[in-house]
Amino acid sequence: MTQMSYVEGLRDGIRIEMKKDSNIYMAGEDVGIFGGCFGQTAGLFQEFGGERIIDTPISETVIVGHAVGAAAAGLRPIVEIMFIDFIGVCMDEILNQAAKMRYMFGGKAKLPMVIRTTCGAGVGAAAQHSQSLEAFLTHIPGIKVVMPATPADAKGLMAAAIRDDNPVVYIEHKGLLGFKGEVPEGEYVVPLGKADIKREGTDVTIVAWSAMVHQALAAAEALAQEGISAEVIDPRTLAPFDKDSVLQSLEKTGKLVIVHEAVKTGGLGGEIAALVADEGFDLLDAPIKRVTAPDCPVPFSSYLEAHYLPSQDKIVKAVKEMF
Amino acid sequence: MEITKEKLLSFYETMLTIRYFEEKAVELFAAGQIPGFVHLYIGEEAVATGACANLTDKDYITSTHRGHGHLIAKGGKLDLMMAELFGKASGYCKGKGGSMHIADVNLGILGANGIVGAGQPIATGAAFACKYKKTDAVSVCFFGDGASNRGTFHESLNMASIFKLPAVYICENNMYGISNNQKNHMNINDISDRAAAYGMPGMTIDGNDVIAVYEAVKEAVKRARKGDGPSLIECKTWRHRGHFEGDPGVYKDPKEQETWVKKDPIIKLEEKLLEHKVVTKEEIAHLQEEAHGKIEAAVEFAKNSKDPSLDELLTDVYAG
Amino acid sequence: MVTVGIIANPASGKDIRRLVSYGTVFDNQEKVNIVRRILLGLAAVHVKRVVYMPDYYGIVPRALDGLKSQDKLPLEVVPVDLELTGTQEDSFKAAQIMAECKVGSLITLGGDGTNRLVAKGCGNVPLLPVSTGTNNVFPVMVEGTIAGLAAGKVAGGSSNHPQAVRPSKKLIIYLNGIPVDIALIDAVVIKDVFIGARAIWEVQGLLQGVFTRGEPHNIGMASIAGNLLAIGSKDKAGLALEFGEGGSSVTAPIAPGMIVPVKVKTYEKIKLQQTVKLHHTPCIIALDGERELAIKEDDEVQIELTFAGPSVIDYKAALQ
Ligand SMILES: Cc1ncc(C[n+]2csc(CCOP(=O)(O)OP(=O)(O)O)c2C)c(N)n1
Ligand SMILES: [Mg+2]
Repeated sequence: MTQMSYVEGLRDGIRIEMKKDSNIYMAGEDVGIFGGCFGQTAGLFQEFGGERIIDTPISETVIVGHAVGAAAAGLRPIVEIMFIDFIGVCMDEILNQAAKMRYMFGGKAKLPMVIRTTCGAGVGAAAQHSQSLEAFLTHIPGIKVVMPATPADAKGLMAAAIRDDNPVVYIEHKGLLGFKGEVPEGEYVVPLGKADIKREGTDVTIVAWSAMVHQALAAAEALAQEGISAEVIDPRTLAPFDKDSVLQSLEKTGKLVIVHEAVKTGGLGGEIAALVADEGFDLLDAPIKRVTAPDCPVPFSSYLEAHYLPSQDKIVKAVKEMF
Repeated sequence: MEITKEKLLSFYETMLTIRYFEEKAVELFAAGQIPGFVHLYIGEEAVATGACANLTDKDYITSTHRGHGHLIAKGGKLDLMMAELFGKASGYCKGKGGSMHIADVNLGILGANGIVGAGQPIATGAAFACKYKKTDAVSVCFFGDGASNRGTFHESLNMASIFKLPAVYICENNMYGISNNQKNHMNINDISDRAAAYGMPGMTIDGNDVIAVYEAVKEAVKRARKGDGPSLIECKTWRHRGHFEGDPGVYKDPKEQETWVKKDPIIKLEEKLLEHKVVTKEEIAHLQEEAHGKIEAAVEFAKNSKDPSLDELLTDVYAG
Repeated sequence: MVTVGIIANPASGKDIRRLVSYGTVFDNQEKVNIVRRILLGLAAVHVKRVVYMPDYYGIVPRALDGLKSQDKLPLEVVPVDLELTGTQEDSFKAAQIMAECKVGSLITLGGDGTNRLVAKGCGNVPLLPVSTGTNNVFPVMVEGTIAGLAAGKVAGGSSNHPQAVRPSKKLIIYLNGIPVDIALIDAVVIKDVFIGARAIWEVQGLLQGVFTRGEPHNIGMASIAGNLLAIGSKDKAGLALEFGEGGSSVTAPIAPGMIVPVKVKTYEKIKLQQTVKLHHTPCIIALDGERELAIKEDDEVQIELTFAGPSVIDYKAALQ
């Protein structure tokens, strides 16, 4: 184990895989000498050279589109979309090409590609640079979606995403990049589709991912002071979703709160709630609660933004309403 | 083409105002008073100034993430802009937009934009509306060298050309998209070369010469108003600062930076005005003082304004 | 060793005449293609070495790059040692260096403006000016392959036609008694104080003109002279005129697609070595179609007609 930041963790994951397999390369805007908009790729250009760490023009359509073609032709591209907000620019390449090719071709194509991108509000970046759009992607069969919350998961999920033979969207939270924690050294893989219990508890299950894991953990801590024992489950991979971990936890707690930074309507929280209502109705002894952003764009004003974001306090309040 | 003294002075004033507004923004950002991203236009003021001097309030512009200059040149109010940078309720967008999203639809400013290349289709649409409504207004689209690699560039210029829309596409070629030098992001040197592919005229001009920009855009606007369709004008220029505040710009060649800083558009104009006795040193000093005064007043206004109320979070999501 | 110089100007063919007069957008890739054909032409007549002006687009290196599928070119192609400024200076300096290293001939790609700069530096090296600009009188429309063959023969001394290389005229501009600039075709005085977008495309504000030549089939300012009193490139005379009411009126194609009436108050044929005094200051002087010199109120300017222009290759004669 060693101390690393989230960004160092994900970079370590990339480095280790790239050293092993020369078919892996990375392409995106300013990933080269600049080292990525938030320093995610710092040093990789120096280590792997311009043939494998490639600066592209501002052309998201072909950044993702070329990865589809390159993957179909046998490479393992990692491409970057600087902010998830820009994903609209390359949505056809994700939605109709990457996600569909294998199925439409009767299983004859393999698309081992990773789309790295960043999400998240909290830095005054306003409506077009702050969104959480994971539900956009989980709605598309054929795409896997991962959202790490800790440095170790950042590393292990990166390795798994690169090794996976499917298109995987790997979403980094801007607010977590500098977050430090223990990370296993050397090769380390966190399997896709496997949730992690970030804190064990018995009275209520809080499902949260990405930055919200840390709000949920803080809330659990505060609730513990008041005698409520909360279990915090981080699915880590949103598609495929590890429903068993959630149902197992509910067997213990009987209460479910889902927390996400994305807006409420059409968010993944609704899907998880439906899933539990469907397959775990008997386990519930209270209505399911969601703590999410309100249904509006991310405001610029720091004051409004602070209120926009789901927080520890809002989670505590939601949990207490159940008791 | 003779340009009146009044016009020349207005160029100078506008460029100074943009410069001082942004120098102030640098200071406030460094002091932590302005959140978010701040992209500065310092060094490129001649483009917006020369271009917008050909427009009226009825004409439209679309801007970019580097938008302060376009907005000021198109008549944007300094106090409302500054308040928006602070995220205050009195700002142009009630504090909901910030530096990257300032707009004033009444002045034809269809917004700065956080999405590179997104202004191109919007400007095309505004031009479409001008033509459809048979006003003689035009739509001017500002965008960067980097943005000209977006698919929207191709789709917009093609549509504008076949529909003969009254649009002027102004490419501010500062030779970088963040850290990526133009040499690495396109295989041509003059973006105006691309005009031929759409069957529209394209030209390249010194973007640090406000008079040259003014003259060029004047002709393009004239064509557009008369119904001769769109044009592409490439202005070669340079941003003095990093891509955004906080970027030290290590990817730039210091020698190149130095040569371009010497070509500062404001100093260039100032020298010409003095050389040709259009103004005196005293008048210059007076104009500078005046411009500083306006900025100070705007900061004062912003600082004295309130944060937006919490109800504002959920207003303006839909109309009606 | 038989050496030929190539100066290909990457900036020609992109100015405001694209907007005002339907000028062709001459993209640099086309210049690359022309240079390829020139190189093949030169190689065919046993030129062993080519020196070229480096430029920011890399016209000649790109031309070579595209010749990879040809059997190895039997000639050495090297840039002249020049620190690029990306300005007009580059063409002038490159010509100077080529003259110093005694190239046998020099091929230029550009318009009148480019050739004016080259002429300032090339001494008595014979020029073969290939037209790629818009307002061109000096360069000729000639296929690149043919230009290569002709310039190669002249350089190698294998062309002994008496008309293969001919002298040309030029104007020398004296500012307060000191020669400061030249023009190969025309010097036109405009009522203006700023250089702006460089090209001239309007007749308003024209004050005075001095021409080395002008024929009715010319395009540009020379056409005004040509429609008054035709003077060819070999005639030992030039023309001076004053614009304004009270004299003759001619209709002249002053730019591509722009055929406009021009009022001329007086005009006279001038002899070699005759000087014409300029009597309107402050003003701008356009040299070979581009606004170049800003003249202040108390400056004194004289323009002299000479036959001391560069030697020019007549490609038809050279190949006979
Ligand atoms: C669609 C999209 N891709 C990427 C970005 C990130 N980004 C913001 S500004 C910028 C560079 C833009 O370069 P250019 O168009 O030349 O404008 P400049 O910044 O030089 O004024 C990039 C890549 C974005 N905002 N939108
Ligand atoms: Mg740029």
